[in-house]
Amino acid sequence: MSNQSIQSENKPNNDEPVGNKGSAVAKRLQKELMALMMSSEKSVSAFPEDSNFFRWKATIVGPKETPYENQKYRLSIEFPNNYPYTAPTCKFTTPCFHPNIDISTGMLCLDILKEKWSALYDVRTILLSIQSLLSEPNNDSPLNSNAASLWDKKAEYKKYLDQFYEKNKDT
Amino acid sequence: MDGTWERLKVLFPVISSSLAESEVTKENIDSIYLELVSLGVLEEVSQLICIEIDKTLQTQVVPEFWKIFDTNLDAQSDNQARERCEFQLFRTTVLQLYKKFQIINRMLERLKYLYEKSGTKFIYNFDEIFKSVLLSQLPNNFTKLVYSFYHISFNVFINTKAEEDDDDDDMDQLRERDDCDGCEMPTARCQCQELVTAFGEINLCLTRMGLLDRISGYTLTNLIQDEIYGHIQKTCRGIFDTQHLKNLEKWLDTIVLEWLTRIFNNGSAKLDPSNLKIRESISYFQKKLKYLLYEKYAKTIIDQFFNIIIEFPDSQPAIDDLKLCMEKLDLRAHLVEVLKNSLETRLLHQGVETSDIITGYVATIKTMRHLEKSGILLQTVTEPVKEYLRKCRQDTVRCVVTSLIEETPSDLSEELARSEAIKAEENERNQDEMNNWQDWTPDPVDALDSDKNSAQNRRSDIISMIVDIYGSKELFVNEYRNLLADRLLTQLDFNPEKEIRNLELLKLRFGENLLHSCEVMLKDISDSKRINSHILECSTFTSEETPNDPAVSALIVSSQFWPMFKKESMELPEEINKLFERYKKSYEEYKGNRTLCWTPLNGKVNIEIEINDKKLDMTVNPAQATIIMHFQNQKEWQLDQLSTVINMPPSTLRRRIGFWQLQGLIREAKENTFILCDENHDQAGEIETETNVVLDEEETMVSANDQREEELQVFWSYILGMLTNLDSMSLERIHQMLKMFASQGPGFEFSQEELKSFLQRKVREHKLVYSYGVYQLNKN
Repeated sequence: MSNQSIQSENKPNNDEPVGNKGSAVAKRLQKELMALMMSSEKSVSAFPEDSNFFRWKATIVGPKETPYENQKYRLSIEFPNNYPYTAPTCKFTTPCFHPNIDISTGMLCLDILKEKWSALYDVRTILLSIQSLLSEPNNDSPLNSNAASLWDKKAEYKKYLDQFYEKNKDT
Repeated sequence: MDGTWERLKVLFPVISSSLAESEVTKENIDSIYLELVSLGVLEEVSQLICIEIDKTLQTQVVPEFWKIFDTNLDAQSDNQARERCEFQLFRTTVLQLYKKFQIINRMLERLKYLYEKSGTKFIYNFDEIFKSVLLSQLPNNFTKLVYSFYHISFNVFINTKAEEDDDDDDMDQLRERDDCDGCEMPTARCQCQELVTAFGEINLCLTRMGLLDRISGYTLTNLIQDEIYGHIQKTCRGIFDTQHLKNLEKWLDTIVLEWLTRIFNNGSAKLDPSNLKIRESISYFQKKLKYLLYEKYAKTIIDQFFNIIIEFPDSQPAIDDLKLCMEKLDLRAHLVEVLKNSLETRLLHQGVETSDIITGYVATIKTMRHLEKSGILLQTVTEPVKEYLRKCRQDTVRCVVTSLIEETPSDLSEELARSEAIKAEENERNQDEMNNWQDWTPDPVDALDSDKNSAQNRRSDIISMIVDIYGSKELFVNEYRNLLADRLLTQLDFNPEKEIRNLELLKLRFGENLLHSCEVMLKDISDSKRINSHILECSTFTSEETPNDPAVSALIVSSQFWPMFKKESMELPEEINKLFERYKKSYEEYKGNRTLCWTPLNGKVNIEIEINDKKLDMTVNPAQATIIMHFQNQKEWQLDQLSTVINMPPSTLRRRIGFWQLQGLIREAKENTFILCDENHDQAGEIETETNVVLDEEETMVSANDQREEELQVFWSYILGMLTNLDSMSLERIHQMLKMFASQGPGFEFSQEELKSFLQRKVREHKLVYSYGVYQLNKN
């Protein structure tokens, strides 16, 4: 493990993924990328940043008939070296007003990325889960209490969300 | 006083503006001298004479001479008659001029005598004055007469030469001709001899007057140039299988130069070794003419280069000649231009088949190779051909691959067979190069130094040059794989030895890796024969056999290594499905851990149809067989209904039913309702005639082109993915990302150029936006 991290730090542009284990991970990620690219699901999408297979950028379009409809959010995904045995770290890079998303750091609270992680999940399912989290927040353990309290007042929530989105969306 | 003037007039008629001469003796001159001295006017009179001579020259002699040159004989319809007239005109005028020249000269001699008697020096330079006055009034068109004059005499000369060289029996033939070859007059009135005499006479006059070079030099050069050109056209045009250069040089050195020598050397062919001046001007002429000869000959060859290419290797001598010429002259640019042009007009247009273009390309390669080892000309010349094949001919790869592995020998298949020899040769040559490094020759200056490894490329063999059209071995190997698959699937009785040999040869070219799957394919075929016969004897398969079961024989191929089959599918009839299931089960039992996926549309079916008391034996494809089997139990089908049962799109189904309609077994009673014609219909007559084997041609494999399109579709989804998430990217970055993330195995072959044109296509389709060097998704 230590050997791998040294290699990946010293050679940031190394095309070959690190070590034997690393190349197995890269293979898995390559497959996931292919599946994602070939899928007909257009509301979620992701792609590796630069030449590093372990850092991806993702895009989620808000689900229809929810306050998030027609909004587009960017995320970053970082895969650990022992993926898929450990969940990747996902963060919103577009600030998102939502009960389970930290408004400043973009951290999100989703069970399948924490204690309920399984190696059977993949990028596509993660992104679809996050997308459905947008419409069905878990208001029991909010990261954004302001949003959680506003959630039930639909019209007010929508109005505040739209203002917030317009201010913070990617250009 | 008057008497003196009269006597003076006899001696110097020029003072009365006349050139009429009369008899003069030495005493006459002496007495006039005494008279003039006693009158004390010797000097004045002498000066007067000089002035009068000048005047007569300027106003009489020279204008009269040039006046003849203005005679317009163009009205003469007969060219030869015109030339003959011009010859005579020139001759007369030159003779007249010479006569006057002599008269004046004699007067000047007397004058000189008078001067010397008085003890003063005579300083009148008549020769110079004569020349300058003559040339100062030179008319523009004076060369025409001169040209005719020399042209006629050249013909006469050549003819006499030819007669000298000819054998006796040839002479007889010549005699039989009505007209003399030299003077074009009827043989009986041949004027050759007179012409030769006149010719010598005129040249002598001109030489004496010092005018030969001034008046004839330029025209002579022109004439000889024309003659050389004519001679080359006459003897060499269209004849490429012998070398002409030696003969041409000999012709120039003997005939033309001898004629020239005669002109300059007062009609004699023997040169006086001491006469340096003539020798010099002759050798100067010789050099100039030799250059002309080379140039004209080389250009004649170049103009016919396309024909030479077509006739290669029979035309090799012509190229050897051109090689010699090109050592002396720089004709590279001319050659490239002419050849490019003729390739474009004769090869690269709609009317020429791709295979012929390829043949032409191969011939060009061979020919140019012979002309120039380094291959630089070749590269420049063939660029448009390559581009044309790349852009306008989709079937290039297929054509090349077909001719590579064709049964009948072709250029390319022979070339392929030579592969091994070439490899060995190359090694040898490399070693040679190291040992004889002194013999190394650098590339010519017009070599494109843009790509350094092209030097290797240029020297490589023809097949590599062909592959070079696309710059990718993969494309060729893929096409080969597709063709091989097609052959293996359609010709069940193929010749394995030959295919294996082809494959081995191709491996030498393209490397083992790329052809690995083809090897597997060949192995699959032989393995599958074994497995098939094993399964057919296997107890699991035979135990459930019913006597009505059709015989089945399967070709088992490994899907990993074969090109993609068309994705289309269909539902087979129940009994066939059962049979296949049983076969599959036996296979699974035999092979363990493996299974069979049937591709129901591929293969062929032997069927026997009993209808209207007739029996038909046919070989058809599975789709056709399935259709007719359904009509066995139900005589009338709606198109939609059948389409659901067979699971085949209605349009495709209709097309396939069409086959049976042609056979007269099914007819369309109403729109979209098909009926089996089993009653004794009036169409029954047709059926009898159609009992032969019919196999509808349907391609089983996805062609390389379609496959490429599919690959591009894959790349497109990756590009969409990256642009969705990474916003805007440059061409280089997209290319790099694709290379890194979208490459599946060794098949990734997507040059930046290709990507660029692909992206630009998407920009045109408004899928992408391109600005400031980066691509973005079109958000609207």
